[in-house]
Amino acid sequence: MSDLRNKFSKWMENNFCGEYECLRGRATPGDEDAFPGLRLKWEREMGAAGWIGIGWPTEFGGKGATLDEIVGFNEEYASHGGPGRAGHIGETLLAPTIIAFGTDQQKARYLPGIKAGKEFWCQGYSEPNAGSDLSNIKTKASLENNQWVINGQKIWTSLAMDSDYIFVVARAAEGSKGRQGLVFLLVKLDQPGIEIRPIKQMSGTAEFNEVFFDGAVCSNEDIIGGVGDGWKIAMALLGFERGASTLGQQMTFADEFRQIVDLAKANGSAKNPLIRQRIAKSYAGLKIMRFTALRTLEAAEKGDTTKEGYISKIFWSSWHRELGELAMDVMGKEAEILKNGEYNKLQKLFLFSRSDTIYGGTNQIQRNIIAERALGMPKEPRGGGTVMKG
Amino acid sequence: MAYPFSSDHEMIREVLSDFLQNWYENGKGPERIYQSGKSFDENIWSRFAEDLGMAGVAISEDFGGGGLDDLGRVVVMEELGASLCAIPFLTTGGEVVDIISKIAKNQFKEEYLQKIAKGKIKGIFCPGHLSEEKKCINSANADTADFILISRLKNKIIEVVCLKVGTPGLEINSKKTIDPTRSFSDVDWSQVSDRDFLPIGTAEINFFTDIISQSQISLAAECVGGAQKCLDMTLEYTSQRVQFGRPIASFQAIKHRCADMFILIETARSAVYAAAVATKDKKTESSLIAKAYATEAFFKVAGDAIQLHGGIGFTWEYPLHLFFKRSRANRSMFGMPSEDYKLLADNIFGDKP
Repeated sequence: MSDLRNKFSKWMENNFCGEYECLRGRATPGDEDAFPGLRLKWEREMGAAGWIGIGWPTEFGGKGATLDEIVGFNEEYASHGGPGRAGHIGETLLAPTIIAFGTDQQKARYLPGIKAGKEFWCQGYSEPNAGSDLSNIKTKASLENNQWVINGQKIWTSLAMDSDYIFVVARAAEGSKGRQGLVFLLVKLDQPGIEIRPIKQMSGTAEFNEVFFDGAVCSNEDIIGGVGDGWKIAMALLGFERGASTLGQQMTFADEFRQIVDLAKANGSAKNPLIRQRIAKSYAGLKIMRFTALRTLEAAEKGDTTKEGYISKIFWSSWHRELGELAMDVMGKEAEILKNGEYNKLQKLFLFSRSDTIYGGTNQIQRNIIAERALGMPKEPRGGGTVMKG
Repeated sequence: MAYPFSSDHEMIREVLSDFLQNWYENGKGPERIYQSGKSFDENIWSRFAEDLGMAGVAISEDFGGGGLDDLGRVVVMEELGASLCAIPFLTTGGEVVDIISKIAKNQFKEEYLQKIAKGKIKGIFCPGHLSEEKKCINSANADTADFILISRLKNKIIEVVCLKVGTPGLEINSKKTIDPTRSFSDVDWSQVSDRDFLPIGTAEINFFTDIISQSQISLAAECVGGAQKCLDMTLEYTSQRVQFGRPIASFQAIKHRCADMFILIETARSAVYAAAVATKDKKTESSLIAKAYATEAFFKVAGDAIQLHGGIGFTWEYPLHLFFKRSRANRSMFGMPSEDYKLLADNIFGDKP
């Protein structure tokens, strides 16, 4: 075990306790609206101890941790039952983007707040008509009196309700289409031109939001890159995460799996041979998910780009959705009953995992990406704005 | 270590791929073999062994082998799977080499390993300690073996003995099989006189668990190689086949099926590589997973490849049916996937219903 991992493990042991005890294993996807206040406090705790941004270069207050160390960090966090990270969008997506493309002023202004666990970010990409077709962005940004004025709507914005800022991809060049003419802006949420409305999901929870922009503003200095660079920056941001948190996520999956096994033992469904086969296959899938993630990470460490990385999203999301179905079948008759009128953890898993195969690129889009980028098959034709009617 | 290949491994892959695809020749290689009524290409085996030094890839360099680990064998098996090459490496280069290397006495070890490395002799292993009966049903490559290693219970220890083919009383009955590129035979040693068995060593029961794990990894690697070849053929065919005025590869129905094939192949590959480098405590489980998963993946991918080729994929002339048949045959080796998953479930639940 690396020094850093060891240190962090001890720190978790000594600090993830007391009032934070109730956060154990909570706030995973499907449960991200749990204990908002306490979770933000926990982030400040992590920040004060220097555990946010460990992978950032030291000149920006990071520890310059290697990929291996970051993986170890995530595994320790998950194995101690740490709650879903309220600050992960700022820490693992926006901060590396600012470090790579931002101005000195932006670095000085935004990195410290993220690092301290005091300023939270959400991602303004998707729109009602820019889902799978993400470049079909309609939200407009225009430069007036040295500030950007933003009008339009974002949707499926995770954690907007707990965030202080949003990074927004908007259309700046009049008449531009697709990937051209976009800007990448850093916008404060708490202002008169912005309204956030939670979306209640089929899981009964509300982690996703709509964000409305009606004359919202940010300074001209809050643009990363220039006009027309928005798409490039937006895509680069998605590439920064590199799967380091995947192994932590898998530990959460392993906990869920273990809970299902325990339930099957307790309620006797472990005697059902078909359930046993499904449990075994699910277990094999979980192991293989780990092996595949390690393969990709190690190849990346060596500087090789391998193609199996493209399958990560569709594989974990499909596996997880099946786990949800398995959980319900293991519950049997009890699956339909709400104790105390609320969904239990496995019922939430079952319902929320239907979104796993949709958000962050649907399984259908993932298959297009695999076919085109990993297998070199012909690209999908792009529509010219006309709609085919049946 | 999940991405463990060295330049040695990559070199083997390159050399073997050229050599075996040259033999495969768009399916003509396997076709020549089954039309000859044989299950084995002697010429290719001796070149594989002598020219390339691959029969003994896992034999220690002290005995003229390549001295590579399980991963070396994985590379060889992947390439054999991609060519359906009719040589008995799985058995001779696999469990037979491991048993002799690990338990045989010096003189036997030296003689047999050197000969195997040179391609002079071929063997199989019959796990006779598992039952009372002195026979082995559907043993792969038995019809081309020169000697047979048999494990048997003797005074509560397991002894491995060697029988030369041609020993009076030893019967090897080869069978007609659906997959014409790998033979299966029944081996019966019940009528062999006691003095004809040459004892070569003894071992604990766990030793044979490791031997099985190694074979499972090899079989799984063969599946990955075969499945990859099926996908490669499908990508090539669908990019050339034009219907409705465009290559059918441009249809999402085709692209998405190919993407699913790729997902299965890459996950199976991860499972195989992980099993090959697994530490001792994780070997049994990871090999079982690799084998169960990869045999199922190969079967699914080979079936999908036929579907995406349309009518041509269903013909005898086109070689896809050979991959499909091999993929089915592999499901029956070392236990069915459903049996593997049953074992896995028994371990997960810590019981045995």
